[in-house]
Amino acid sequence: MSVPDVLFYIFAVCLVGAAGMVVASRNPINAAMSLVAAFFFLAGIYVLLWAHTIAVLQVLVYAGAVMVLFLFVIMLLSLSERGPRSPITVGRILGGAAALGLGVVICIVVLKLDGSAATLTGAQAMRFGTIARMGELIYGTYLFPFEAVSLLLLAAIVGAVVVAKSRI
Amino acid sequence: MTLPDVTFADFHPILPALILMLGGAVLLFAEVFLTPSAHHGPAHVSRAHQPIIALVFTAAAALVSGWLMFQPARAVFLGFAVLDPFSAFLSLTVCVGLGLSVLIAAGFLRHRKAERGEFYALMLFGAAGMSLLGVSNELVVLFINIEVLSVSTYALAAYLRRGPRPAEAAFKYFILGAFSSAVLLYGISLLYGATGTTQLSAMAPQMSAALAKTQGLVYLGLGLLLGGLAFKVAAVPFHMWTPDVYEGAPTPVTALMSAGVKAAAFAALVRVFLALGHNLDSHLLATLFAFLALATMVIGNLLAIPQRNVKRMLAYSSIAHAGYVLLGVASLFVSGGAPTGGVLGATPLATGGLTAALRQDAVRGILFYLLAYTVSAVGAFGVVSALERREEEDRGTAWDLDRFAGLVHRRPWWAVAMTAFMLSLGGIPPLVGFMGKLLIFKSAVDAGLVWLAVVGILASAAGAYYYLRVVVYMFMRPAPETGVLPERHGWTEAALLLSTAAVVVLGIAPGLISSWLSQAGKLFGQ
Repeated sequence: MSVPDVLFYIFAVCLVGAAGMVVASRNPINAAMSLVAAFFFLAGIYVLLWAHTIAVLQVLVYAGAVMVLFLFVIMLLSLSERGPRSPITVGRILGGAAALGLGVVICIVVLKLDGSAATLTGAQAMRFGTIARMGELIYGTYLFPFEAVSLLLLAAIVGAVVVAKSRI
Repeated sequence: MTLPDVTFADFHPILPALILMLGGAVLLFAEVFLTPSAHHGPAHVSRAHQPIIALVFTAAAALVSGWLMFQPARAVFLGFAVLDPFSAFLSLTVCVGLGLSVLIAAGFLRHRKAERGEFYALMLFGAAGMSLLGVSNELVVLFINIEVLSVSTYALAAYLRRGPRPAEAAFKYFILGAFSSAVLLYGISLLYGATGTTQLSAMAPQMSAALAKTQGLVYLGLGLLLGGLAFKVAAVPFHMWTPDVYEGAPTPVTALMSAGVKAAAFAALVRVFLALGHNLDSHLLATLFAFLALATMVIGNLLAIPQRNVKRMLAYSSIAHAGYVLLGVASLFVSGGAPTGGVLGATPLATGGLTAALRQDAVRGILFYLLAYTVSAVGAFGVVSALERREEEDRGTAWDLDRFAGLVHRRPWWAVAMTAFMLSLGGIPPLVGFMGKLLIFKSAVDAGLVWLAVVGILASAAGAYYYLRVVVYMFMRPAPETGVLPERHGWTEAALLLSTAAVVVLGIAPGLISSWLSQAGKLFGQ
């Protein structure tokens, strides 16, 4: 097992654990902090995939800006230390079973894949996840989706103003 | 670095969306500069210019879509978008639904003194996303545009938050919508992993190789993609959100959701699965869509029957109508190579697979049905919004069947319009809903899905019960003694007049749009 493999398993196990904590934790602050941890481990996996820019953005934007906002909102709402204990209903059991079933199916599909996926080497890998390469793709090949995202952001900003405004 | 070679002709397919986006921007600026501030003017200032601006841009977008219908099909923007009559007809349908919803909203918001330019701007942005969804030929673009139309409708659903219901509806829609988007995106990523591309035109030839190597990945990816889209069209078993959200959202927004969002999501569904379905086991796809259609038609209609709340009844009926369209989608995928006498008795009349002509007929049937549903359902929601009173929303009785009692004595023309919409939704001749069902059932029978068509006809017969019940209440029940006469809104009545005209005229003379419809069966690359 090479170093990247070992790192991958560390990151992956910690990621799944942290994500599980987000769902299971009854204290909202604990859940939010577990989410920060999950974002960091995910950034580690991005680095192993040669996606350096995405990894940096993940830490800066999600683990940084977004999580600060999350924590502010939780503190402003001054939620109680322990969230309500949700009762177990038929719907929840069915939902959990469906999620579990889907998870099992995904695991089976992934385990059946042969591990001989293409790997990046040398100069190709050096270029792959860089800002320069990403910029070329965004402003070149992916120009149209990039412009479509601007419409999405505009709609989201106007929508946020509409939702946040005082009650009409 | 090479920049893509983009010419003005590349912008043709997205012109309707660009016009709608410009309209949204104009509305946002008009809100700032044209609306006198409350500090200087009277408390309630006139904002009649807002719906007029929205309508002008919607009409312009509709005209451009009509022109695009006759342009040769081609791929633009390096294959990320396509120009074909199919997407142009979809843009036209979206514009029709948007224009009628804007008219309803004008009356609705005026009654509640809640007019804001942002409301119409979000409607236009959402419609731009729907129009772009129709031209998307790449899965990332498809996902972004689904998000555009979803984000706009999330915000619109939360626009009026009076009482607990609207807030709950908006929140439910947002959470479940975000979940379904994640499912869709996961499916897209798995398909990318299996084929190495996200462009539909490039993915289709890769499918055979991908199936041979990573079969599980392809099927799982397509399944998750289908799940995400089925949520947007509200197909059973992904329909749970529909009644609550449709009931809680402001009625003009519900109208836009039921018409535009559904039509755009169906267009995406048809485009993706027609492009990728070639190399799949088509019997599997046909069976899958047939079961979705069966469940959606039957369960949607059965759940609508006990509803006394008309808005909720229309929500369940919108599920049922998604089932009829899914029946049309299923008939696209029936092929002659399938074992005959299978689960659903698929025995196509045309041997060796559905011929291209029959397939085009099926696409035409789907598009005409979406247009027919748009004019009928938006009109029905228009009557609901004209009748509902602000004071009763909190108690949840604003949409009770009793509010329709004796409507013919109080507002006879509303009763006549509602009768036309109900009969059209029920599929009763000579209205447009009947023509739509006729085309759908005909293509299903042509494809050999006879049993499913029979189930569909039985289901729509059951549906006639709850549509006719509204008519019975309007014409045969006495008006309540104490009932206040519903206020008239000029804008809403214009919407009712236009949709009634469309429902009747398109039902009697569908030939009026036959030149467009005969074009519209053509998809790029099909």
